[in-house]
Amino acid sequence: MPIAIVIIVPLLLIPVLIYNSLIARKNQVLNVFGAIDALLKKRYDLIPNLVATVKGYTQHERSLLEELTKIRAQALSGQISDDEAVELDNKLTRALGRLLLVVENYPNLRASENFMHLQRTLTELEEQISAARRAYNAAVTDYNNAVEMFPTSIAASMMNYKPRRFFEISEKQREGIDAGEHFRR
Amino acid sequence: MTFQQNAKRTLRKTMKAKTLDDFKQFCETGLSADLNALEARRRALARNLTYAGAVVAGLVLIVLFLMGRSGVQLFPGLLFPVIIGAILFGFITHLAGKGYVRQFKATIIRKIVSFLDENLDYSPHRHIPRSTFIASQIFKTAPNRYKGDDYVSGNIGATKIEFSELHAEYETGGKNRSRRTIFRGLFFIADFNKHFTCRLVVLPDTAEKLFGGFGKTPQSWNLTRDPLIKLEDPEFENFFVVHGNDQIQARYILSTSLMNRIIDFRKKTNRHLYLSFVGSKIFVALSYARNLFEPRLFTTLLDFELMREYFQDLQLAVGIVDDLSLNTRIWTKQ
Repeated sequence: MPIAIVIIVPLLLIPVLIYNSLIARKNQVLNVFGAIDALLKKRYDLIPNLVATVKGYTQHERSLLEELTKIRAQALSGQISDDEAVELDNKLTRALGRLLLVVENYPNLRASENFMHLQRTLTELEEQISAARRAYNAAVTDYNNAVEMFPTSIAASMMNYKPRRFFEISEKQREGIDAGEHFRR
Repeated sequence: MTFQQNAKRTLRKTMKAKTLDDFKQFCETGLSADLNALEARRRALARNLTYAGAVVAGLVLIVLFLMGRSGVQLFPGLLFPVIIGAILFGFITHLAGKGYVRQFKATIIRKIVSFLDENLDYSPHRHIPRSTFIASQIFKTAPNRYKGDDYVSGNIGATKIEFSELHAEYETGGKNRSRRTIFRGLFFIADFNKHFTCRLVVLPDTAEKLFGGFGKTPQSWNLTRDPLIKLEDPEFENFFVVHGNDQIQARYILSTSLMNRIIDFRKKTNRHLYLSFVGSKIFVALSYARNLFEPRLFTTLLDFELMREYFQDLQLAVGIVDDLSLNTRIWTKQ
């Protein structure tokens, strides 16, 4: 009898542990994804302030500022798919990069305390977003390993878990970031 | 010019890294008078100590002779005078050397510190407090024997730093009393240049070096630490194991550029390197097996090699700000 317990209890425990570890990994991925979302939203929230500050100093950059406002309105409308969200995010990155290049021509604006603070906050957010993306990729690696490796792969297929995609940076977005590099350092 | 370029310029202005040649010149101009005065004192002291040693040795010999004549067993009886003589000599050296050590630190080390950066303050007898050592969370065992000296503090550019030499040990009580060193070496603290609220510890990796990728599994079993943070840089993962309580902030602190800088610093020092990020500060612990910033009684002071060692040990600590780019203030923390 005791021998039976020694054999049966672990056999019952193993599926439970596998199931729980898969759930934990999936939740970790979702959790970090949520964090990226929150950070992106924070960046969108900076735009009205940025636009207002820049407006006071420049006359010729209306179209760029309007573009920023438009991107923000679209992103926050809540009626966009994930792919559109990524596309808008790339657009925003590029537009911000352009704006910061343009600002080079306005020394008064550049020197204003308000703008300097905004620029610092923006740099900080960009770095936090990139950290969150790295965390997301680490969580996805963990999750994919569990989904594809034996023996957890069996449970994963029963639970209908599929490997997830990494946060990749498209060629286009890389260009956007390069423009950003110019001011970041 | 953008504020980043501006920041870089101020950085260069404040951190004109002193080279060995600069230091050589400084030894010849700014230090030579003090060095000569101290060397005279050291020579007199060494001479007196040699006499004292001779007297002690003579006394020991006389006692040994008398004991031998009165028929004391050679072993272990005759050993006692030798041991007592050695202890006596050690005690005399310590007492006589005290003033010399004090003068050496108050002049030579102090001057080297302010040569490195005039904003730095040096207190030979102070050290990083035990509570700070524990708060860094680098070492899990709280020391019950704790000492240190050579405390340096001040600002390097925008960054407030402090460091000292430390020796933290744990002694078990009871019958089998034993003492274990938790940490011995240089302990450095600086204000970190980004805001964060998490806790992050970077430790030298022993498991992964031995077992490669398989080392990850035992690392994650470490229950006394926060969860393991797996970073994407394989070289960094080879040197270190990272524990933290926030996956995203951990990567915000350990940006790819900071990871590279830490790897370079680790290669440069080639010592056990521990780091932690707690309460908006960065803690760096660097293991040393020898006593730092102490003068030697029986070798000449006028040898540049010796001065070079003091200079380089100090420069290594002060240079952490530059090596880890802590003066880069492009985020909201200024």
